[in-house]
Amino acid sequence: MDAQKVDMFIMTNSKYFESYQLNSIRERLISLDDNRWVMISTVQLKDPTIYLIISILVGHFGIDRMLNGEIGLGVLKLITCGGMGIWTLVDWFLVMGLTRQKNMEKLQPFLY
Amino acid sequence: MTRNKLYVFLSAACLAGSVWVAFAYRHTAIEKSDFIVCLFKRVTTLPCPSCGSTRSLLAILKGDLFGAFMLNPMGFLLFAILLVTPIWILFDVITKKSTLLVFFRKGEHFLSRKWVAYSAVVIVILNWIWNIFKGI
Repeated sequence: MDAQKVDMFIMTNSKYFESYQLNSIRERLISLDDNRWVMISTVQLKDPTIYLIISILVGHFGIDRMLNGEIGLGVLKLITCGGMGIWTLVDWFLVMGLTRQKNMEKLQPFLY
Repeated sequence: MTRNKLYVFLSAACLAGSVWVAFAYRHTAIEKSDFIVCLFKRVTTLPCPSCGSTRSLLAILKGDLFGAFMLNPMGFLLFAILLVTPIWILFDVITKKSTLLVFFRKGEHFLSRKWVAYSAVVIVILNWIWNIFKGI
């Protein structure tokens, strides 16, 4: 793929991924065929900041976990009063990393 | 989530829950609801959907099933989870299978169906409204 196009993708989407993943994503994208571009640019990525807000406001009910696709753990968080408040506090710090990881998992099938 | 991660997490959660219930069993002050651990209730003074489940669990342990239901029906769910999960994990670890992981995945898949998800949300919200009216 065109390096300029890839750099534009990286620049606009860098907040969705962990910083150490960006280099490998860039290299993969450059080595990819051009007709994958449409698929890759339409992947729905989730904003970690929005998830942090969700976690602070309604993380007590496990909503942040459920929206990230971990429905089982979300339900567990809901029925245990947010892990008696402790899990809620811990997830305020983990949710952004979790969202970035889920974004990477979402992009992965298009890169290979 | 991988098998071992899930199993370690669930066993830690079950251990913490059991320790908490044992602690609450010995300290009756918790039953009189002047010992609030719920973050949501601390902040808003309103009970959350699962407030009262410790007291419900204690009522189940004392054999008062109706009282447990009136306190919070989620206590039965928690009681079942606390009872079954450690045995299931032990069985899986000894036989080197991953039946609990498969069940967990199937449960997640079942819950993500539209009508199941909607009815679960409605049940939880109804329970929440009931909790607020009871003043748990």
